[in-house]
Amino acid sequence: MKLEMKVGYYPGETGEFIRVDEEKCTGCGACARFCARGVWQKDGAVYRPRGLKLCAECGACWNACPADAVLFSEPRGGTGVRFLFG
Amino acid sequence: MYDVIVVGAGCAGPAAARKAAQLGLRTLLLEKARVPGEKNVSGTCLNTAALSDADLHYLLDGPVEREIRSMRTYHVTRERTTVFHEIPASGILLLSIRRDRFDAWHTEQARRAGAEVRLATSVVDIVEEGGAIRGVVTDAGERLLSKVVIDAAGVNSIVGRRAGLIGRRTGTDMILYVTVAVRLGKKKIDERFGDTIEYYLAPGCQHKTWPWIFPKRDVVTLGAGGYMTSDLVSEGFPSVNTYMQNFLDLPVVRDRLAGGRIASWGLHCEYDEPIEQKARDGLILAGEAGGFVAPFLGEGMPEAFFTGIYAAQAAARAIEANDLSLARLEGGFDELLDANLFMKSFMYVAARNKASILSKSDEEIARMMQSVVMGGGFITNAVHTGWLAAAEEGDIEKAREARDFLELLQPYRSIGSDFEEIYAARKKR
Repeated sequence: MKLEMKVGYYPGETGEFIRVDEEKCTGCGACARFCARGVWQKDGAVYRPRGLKLCAECGACWNACPADAVLFSEPRGGTGVRFLFG
Repeated sequence: MYDVIVVGAGCAGPAAARKAAQLGLRTLLLEKARVPGEKNVSGTCLNTAALSDADLHYLLDGPVEREIRSMRTYHVTRERTTVFHEIPASGILLLSIRRDRFDAWHTEQARRAGAEVRLATSVVDIVEEGGAIRGVVTDAGERLLSKVVIDAAGVNSIVGRRAGLIGRRTGTDMILYVTVAVRLGKKKIDERFGDTIEYYLAPGCQHKTWPWIFPKRDVVTLGAGGYMTSDLVSEGFPSVNTYMQNFLDLPVVRDRLAGGRIASWGLHCEYDEPIEQKARDGLILAGEAGGFVAPFLGEGMPEAFFTGIYAAQAAARAIEANDLSLARLEGGFDELLDANLFMKSFMYVAARNKASILSKSDEEIARMMQSVVMGGGFITNAVHTGWLAAAEEGDIEKAREARDFLELLQPYRSIGSDFEEIYAARKKR
């Protein structure tokens, strides 16, 4: 059985609930390494959450960043990822 | 002005809001999902040892997917697969649930008890005044004030983070795991899994944890992942999904899931250390936000129910005494936790188990899992760890403590018919 990342999303704009603090980012890529959804992409010397629409809101990037460069808030109420079965 | 604002309608939040409303407090429960539970990922099996507590009996009215009465452990090596099937003499071990249904039902209970519920509302900040937490700010910019905030917003809670109580955690303090729901249909699940949960130990399927399969009504949920140490992802394991793919590819798992299809995927960070400080002036952390999770024990939901209820009780006492200080809130909270045998054993085992298990080989863990019924094997391990430490350090007090703990736990080591009776009576109503 091939793993499929089947996940739902509520309609509506989430807002930029994950951002990078460019001053702090050292470009180490820990955010991208631990992200299972390919949200983080290298852009010059820093990483950016380019694929935020794919984010599953697990917070691994924020926890993994040794430079405290991941700014992690909340998607707008009633938007963002939606899991079935829990 | 509310008496209590509860943030998060997972397991701890509705329990807290329901209790607070029952105690006559003006209560607001906030949840970012449109349907409570739709942003939650967990193991989804409730331990009946905890549900035997009268405080949690109301939860037995909730939507249950399957009653679990036995456990199988698969130890897979290149040469062979060894299967242990443990069937206790009697009793339901676990109740398997769906979070998207159960949390929604639980939230409705809080509303019926008198709590105001606002869904699709994200909390993005706290309101702080003179060093005390006085409320929260929503994504719409609304400032909502309360005497006490109960943070039940989960592992990465923004409330706990803004209050400075929750920090970043990786390494052996945090587990990252993937879940997958495979739709097999009720008939196939009845035939292949019935009332049995399964744990696996197999190469490439876990990173110092173990994958599992929990049956629900017409899907089974699989979980796999591991500690967020730097080698969780590597060349051979480019993502935590690789562990799940390897799990799905095990011949024994392939057979058990034949004819099924993936219905859903999930991802979750789970904290594996107690949180030092669980309160501030005007704030209490409950459930996973408060670190009341022990991934190795597969425990977290009952602890969230208990701590939610206790947080509400501690808040009510503090409000009545007109003293919302950290000392008052935490004191009241700890007193209630300390009087609960289940929570006491949970905290004891969680404190001793992890280092010991992290030092064990897969074979040793597999042997230990033979005796895991309701965490019995883990409890034995915790007691054993205490005794070993006593022997190494020549500290007789530590040995006494371990023995006392074993005695304290005796009621929990045998699953009696009590729960079955409570459950049956509740279902009859």
